[in-house]
Amino acid sequence: MNKSSQQKQTILRLTTAALILPGLLPVVTHAAEDDSVDFQYSHYQEGERQNVEIAAPTKWVSTSGSQTWAKVPVPNHNPIEVDSLHGSARVTLTDRVKFAFNYIQDTWSGATPYGSTPAQSGAIYHNGYSNPASYDDKGKPILSGASAFAAYGFSLLQLNKQGQSVHFLNPEEYNPPILFKDRIVHVMGYASPETRQQGDFKLSYQWDEAALDVGGGISVENDYESRFVNIGGRMDFNQKQTTMDLGLSYTHSDINAELDPLGDNYFTWTGQHNDQINFDPATGLTTLSGTRQDWGVRLGLTQIVNKDAIGKLGMSYTRSNGFLENPYKLSWIYDKGSSDPYLKDTFGIDTYYGRGFIEQRPNERNLFQWSTGWVQYIEPLEAALHFDYSFAHDDWGINAHTFEGDWVQPLGSGWTITPRIRYYSQSAADFYGAYFFGGGTAFDYNSPLPDDPSIKTFNPPDNFSSDQRLSGYGALSGGVTVEKQFAKGVSLQAGFEYYTHQGGLKMGGGGEGNFADYDYWVANAALKVNLGFIGLSNLDGNHNHANHLYHANIPAGVWFGHTLDKSGDMMIGYRYQRNWLANGFRYGDSKASTEQIIANGCPELSDGCLMLPREMTTNMHMLDIMYAPTDWLTLMLMPQFMDMSMPSYHPDADTSGGSHHMGDAIAHDFPTGGVGDTGIYALINLFDRPNHHLHLGVGVTAPTGDIAIRQKSSSPGKADEGYVHYGMQLGSGTWDLKPSLTYIGKTGDWSWGAQVTGTKRLESHNSSGYALGDAFETSLWGGYDWTSWLSSTVRIAYNWQGAVKGRYPKWRVDRAKKYDCPKVNFTTYSKFDENGYPIDNGVFDAGAWQACLDSKNHDPTLDLARDDRTSPMDYTSNYGGNYVDIGLGISATVPSGAFAGNRLAFEWLQPVYTNVNGYQLNRDGALSFTWSYGF
Amino acid sequence: MTLTRHLLTFCGFCILLIMNACAPVQPWERGNLAKPQMALDPYPLQSALRAHNYGSREAAAGGNAAQGGGCGCY
Repeated sequence: MNKSSQQKQTILRLTTAALILPGLLPVVTHAAEDDSVDFQYSHYQEGERQNVEIAAPTKWVSTSGSQTWAKVPVPNHNPIEVDSLHGSARVTLTDRVKFAFNYIQDTWSGATPYGSTPAQSGAIYHNGYSNPASYDDKGKPILSGASAFAAYGFSLLQLNKQGQSVHFLNPEEYNPPILFKDRIVHVMGYASPETRQQGDFKLSYQWDEAALDVGGGISVENDYESRFVNIGGRMDFNQKQTTMDLGLSYTHSDINAELDPLGDNYFTWTGQHNDQINFDPATGLTTLSGTRQDWGVRLGLTQIVNKDAIGKLGMSYTRSNGFLENPYKLSWIYDKGSSDPYLKDTFGIDTYYGRGFIEQRPNERNLFQWSTGWVQYIEPLEAALHFDYSFAHDDWGINAHTFEGDWVQPLGSGWTITPRIRYYSQSAADFYGAYFFGGGTAFDYNSPLPDDPSIKTFNPPDNFSSDQRLSGYGALSGGVTVEKQFAKGVSLQAGFEYYTHQGGLKMGGGGEGNFADYDYWVANAALKVNLGFIGLSNLDGNHNHANHLYHANIPAGVWFGHTLDKSGDMMIGYRYQRNWLANGFRYGDSKASTEQIIANGCPELSDGCLMLPREMTTNMHMLDIMYAPTDWLTLMLMPQFMDMSMPSYHPDADTSGGSHHMGDAIAHDFPTGGVGDTGIYALINLFDRPNHHLHLGVGVTAPTGDIAIRQKSSSPGKADEGYVHYGMQLGSGTWDLKPSLTYIGKTGDWSWGAQVTGTKRLESHNSSGYALGDAFETSLWGGYDWTSWLSSTVRIAYNWQGAVKGRYPKWRVDRAKKYDCPKVNFTTYSKFDENGYPIDNGVFDAGAWQACLDSKNHDPTLDLARDDRTSPMDYTSNYGGNYVDIGLGISATVPSGAFAGNRLAFEWLQPVYTNVNGYQLNRDGALSFTWSYGF
Repeated sequence: MTLTRHLLTFCGFCILLIMNACAPVQPWERGNLAKPQMALDPYPLQSALRAHNYGSREAAAGGNAAQGGGCGCY
């Protein structure tokens, strides 16, 4: 970077810096930065919550003749994970007007707490504690279906004289019963895959010593939609030594939370939410609707203190009203019932009955925040120390402190390393509790529980929440960011952070118990391209690719279309493809009726398909990063981000046209999304003349996309059901070879080209037991340049895809191994210790064991639908086919100015011939878009 | 009341800072301040991500609805 551009950067950074005070309103960020395009990917992974242990009888009897017991952990797998993609662009429209745009997409799934309760209350699902479903090889109990997920029915609590929750085992067999002191646990729920998309913009006008920004955006989820606007102003004083900024924001959110269809078996709600909850008999769904509004105002001050330090101050106020609850959080509320006379008389134990309630928060919140920060230059090390502190106070009783320190250390050669540490501590909200006691009518222990636990019975408190976000706790996190700045205005960043939330870390003590502790880590990678910087270097007249043969007129849907010119060149590109499948079904090359597909689409189901897809949409976002180490070789790295959705329906309900009992196969749309497979390619120039060019591509895709995504369970107490359809997984799961051969020709305004590409799966199956089919594609195209910057293309493409090989593991075999035919049942032991546990290796009868497995594998009474899936998309024979498409494309190249060399291209692919394997959704077309920039 | 006390502390700190500003730092003396590591937020992309993560897990963030961050209902 030369001196003058460094000074320019300086002023920009200072003015920008003034605006990025931490706090509520991101109103004025980025406004004065250079024009740039940024991409960021991040992965968030929560650690598993604490395991719950339950006592259960083993297979053995001790030498003294009594049953032996073992503590069995209840599994608590699949914690929340989130994949996020963030793209942003900032451009200068005129000298004083800047425009910034952001697009963010998050996809998440996994298990997360609904609420909390004493472990033995029955609120979590552990039906087998006195009667194990099976035993492991050593005779230790396995609890069938036991999980930390919410269980049906009422919860039951037994409190001793000290008010402690206790639990006893089999009072009939044991006199006195074995009493355990109980502990609190989370009741888990499962968030099925969901995607959030956010788009926002900011327009700013800059004077010499002031700026004004207006911005707005929208964030869309299935169940939550927010629209927001903001306005911000900035004034510089005192030769820009002092900067003040003021921001205002308004957010309106609509909540339409789909409650668990089976939820009425384990939770209810208070009268306050009654009129917000609606049951739609047509879909079988219960929805909680609400709206909320958030107003925010903030004031900030940034001051250059001396030539090595900047200080900053900020304060903000947020007023929120409306539905402020998290609609998926429950609190367990208990009321005293009449007690078991034996327990009451002998041990003084009282019995309470409880139920989960949707949490209830006040309808208003006023939050104040004060923040201060300091940035100090450390001369000897050329480093910068950033320190921030903020205090927050609200009228829910929460006070919070945040301390954060960053050390930004440049290492030379464009490398910077930034370690960081952060500590956060908050006190609990007034209405927070791990669980609650109401003041309702007592139940009679001897009479059956009421079927409809009405709110009158329980009488919960006015406001209550068991959301850990409102508990007292501390959080410590630390991480590191590494940045490499390349000479050409491109920088790569990678960051990692570990975060631990613990009741014991609360400042001053008194935090929530350790049952609520959890941790997470986040890894992210970002690519920043500084267009202003590149634009400048191009104006120097270094290179201009706009008219180069290889860049002209390659349709947007063609991959590996061009190589780089010469050694040292780089290119950054973004590629987007959207595919639609809709408009009914096909069988071979003809249309298939709904009746046909129900009857024949699911060959293993005797009653035909139970679910049909309505349509399927696939979005692929890809980065093209190209680099030429020598003139004849171009290396390519293509990370991918995918998301897909496939709304499905019940054909029965469709034909009966209205209310219909759907059992547990309710129409659904579980989208999936996240990182796809990553491509690594080499393109080799074979022949290069002014009018003709030929190159060979060889490469592989690494199986970085998830191929083990499962649907949310429709049964209580289970984390998940079967796998999603093969086409909804994010990658192939196998290493795939992708060769290609491309020819391009050009004379005058005319250009043409041809390409063959193939995909060969290098493994016979992936870790989920299947492999996608191989593929082959060939394209032929012609193009015409209408002007020096605008051209169009016509393409014909033929595509062949093989069917899916292999299949997902059979649930019945897994089940048989674990529950029906445990190895211990086929092993004869002769030596036992005093607790009854075997101490020799035993004699295992493998033949009898195999016979048992075989009989279960072919037992049709064993939960058919789990194996023999209900939709045509679950059958591997319904994948692949032959396709012919016509593509119409248009591309534009910016010929001069600051954006010279940017190329945009679109292509629409229209299906003209489709011949599918088996029964499949019809094709509706595909859109491709590419942006690329070479330098 | 604690609120008033915090407010007063804040104002006091403000005044201190501004008084301190009376010793001017000339534009040509701002070389160090201009370095990338001295930017108030050297990594805005990451900061946005981290703010979103904290915002959906901590009460003090004011609910990320104000950032348009959606519900984070998990």
